[in-house]
Amino acid sequence: MNAFLATVRISFRRQLTYRAANLSGLATNLMFGFFRASVLIALYREQPSVNGLTLQGAITYAGLTQAMIGYLSFFHWYELMHTVYDGQVGSDLLKPLDYFLYWLGVDAGRALGTLLIRGVPLFLVFALFYDVVLPLSLLQWGAFLLSLLFALLISFGWRFMVNLASFWTPNAIGIGRFAFGLSWTFSGFFFPLALFPDWLAEFSRLSPFGASVYIPIQVFIGNVSGIELTKSLIIQLTWIVILVILDHIILNRGVRKLVIQGG
Amino acid sequence: MSSIIHVQDLVKTFKIYHDHKGYLGAIRNLFDRKYDLVHAVDQINFDIHPGELVGYIGPNGAGKSTTIKMLTGLLVPTSGEVRVNGYIPWKERKTYVKHIGAVFGQRTTLWWDLPLSDSLTLLQHIYEIPDPLYKKNLAMFREILELDAFMNTPVRSLSLGQRMRADLCAAMLHDPKLVFLDEPTIGLDVVAKERIREFIQFINRERGTTILLTTHDIADVAKLCERVMIIDHGKIVFDGKLDHLLRTYGGRRFLSVQFAEIYPEPVLENADIIKMEGNNVVYSFMRDTVSASHLIHKLSESYRIADLEVNDQPIEDTIREIYEKQLLYNHNHDKKNPAS
Repeated sequence: MNAFLATVRISFRRQLTYRAANLSGLATNLMFGFFRASVLIALYREQPSVNGLTLQGAITYAGLTQAMIGYLSFFHWYELMHTVYDGQVGSDLLKPLDYFLYWLGVDAGRALGTLLIRGVPLFLVFALFYDVVLPLSLLQWGAFLLSLLFALLISFGWRFMVNLASFWTPNAIGIGRFAFGLSWTFSGFFFPLALFPDWLAEFSRLSPFGASVYIPIQVFIGNVSGIELTKSLIIQLTWIVILVILDHIILNRGVRKLVIQGG
Repeated sequence: MSSIIHVQDLVKTFKIYHDHKGYLGAIRNLFDRKYDLVHAVDQINFDIHPGELVGYIGPNGAGKSTTIKMLTGLLVPTSGEVRVNGYIPWKERKTYVKHIGAVFGQRTTLWWDLPLSDSLTLLQHIYEIPDPLYKKNLAMFREILELDAFMNTPVRSLSLGQRMRADLCAAMLHDPKLVFLDEPTIGLDVVAKERIREFIQFINRERGTTILLTTHDIADVAKLCERVMIIDHGKIVFDGKLDHLLRTYGGRRFLSVQFAEIYPEPVLENADIIKMEGNNVVYSFMRDTVSASHLIHKLSESYRIADLEVNDQPIEDTIREIYEKQLLYNHNHDKKNPAS
């Protein structure tokens, strides 16, 4: 097994040991899911659809976003920052392993564990209580899983970059809060993008945040198919490439600064 | 014999900013920040040969960890030359670190929430250790470090001594030629310290691993290291054998006397009274100024003695005195090449 996969595996196992945290995370996400669904039902009372989104679609949207919160961890992730502040980063840099890949492995293991323990059960429970939309074909399931993987890569690329701020400032938590606020607002987590004004919805859709959260859901619900589906996946891939390149540029500068000025 | 660590004219200078105070000062800081240049490491030279076990000591802030960071590639020198195992550490860090091991006593490289065995398996993959070698090394370290009792315990539940043994094993699995040990006995009890020292001695003697040991515990150095380097104010102020250091600077001895009666002022030439309680008096004197037998002779001429005892100053106190009085620093800081 190579070092990357071994890192994914150990991180996955670690995630599984956090039983209490996983369960309470599941309960919280579920509760907010029910809450959001109730609000949507009240909003839709008179109308069959808003901006082309049916109530059934909106409820599925709510369930999926709630199920993806832990997996994408888009709004709260300071793990790398902490290692910079407690000095662990020194030991990590002394390992013969690419720093970016190492953290990607750690995060992929975490995400996988969270998806299995929190994401999937949450959506299953949601499907018991509400009438949700499901992908109709194997192809659609496959496309959804692919876009879900891409979503994680975008989310990681963003979170990694935000955390790198800790290489420059002794308190990057504030920067993190602001940056994660951005991803929260524009990802469509908070509210279906279809309910945004058109220009804002379009902006969010093209941003890395929308590409991470909104696109997989569109694929799942079946709002995009054929050419549109390919286009959506290409938008995701483009963001992955951009973020990975930016991450490496910033990381190299950060490491250079760290090794020149000291920890 | 070619050296495994070669350090020449090594300098590391930090800019330490001092900010203006108050609100206006905070604004001024944006445009005009004053700084001092601090020479954390100031023109040091040394060579370490394969198989050596060298103690690297010095007071806090003397430049020890700055040196170690430059040797491991975590810090780029301001000027000077470093070659370790043929590599320039900060330029070729990712390839270089395959060949070294490092233990920082204050932190762990192990996965806190998982059994020790999981972390060790991960290291096998990270260092790409071939299966037979991994199994051989692990079996050996399990036995010597007695890891079996807690191999499947989450690292967070280990005692400090157990965790340190685990970290030592983790640093040695890939057969590094050179190991940096930074405070490997910090916070341990006497028994645990002794075990760690025995292990360090084992990997140095039996496996020929070169070791650079930084520590504040002089007993580590006294037990393990033939050669010791002392850094102070960024300069290597001593590099040589420990007993040479002690002979040169540790000349202080103590003469404890119990007199047969109480004397108000039992003064003695060439010796200072450092403690006096009734008829018990402790004198301090320097080995190279006066001999113990001479002092005892002088004492018995003037006073009646019931009992007496002569002691050497403990090593810890000698080193502390060297740090505090900066004996070596003052002695050497005009010379171009420090004592060797």
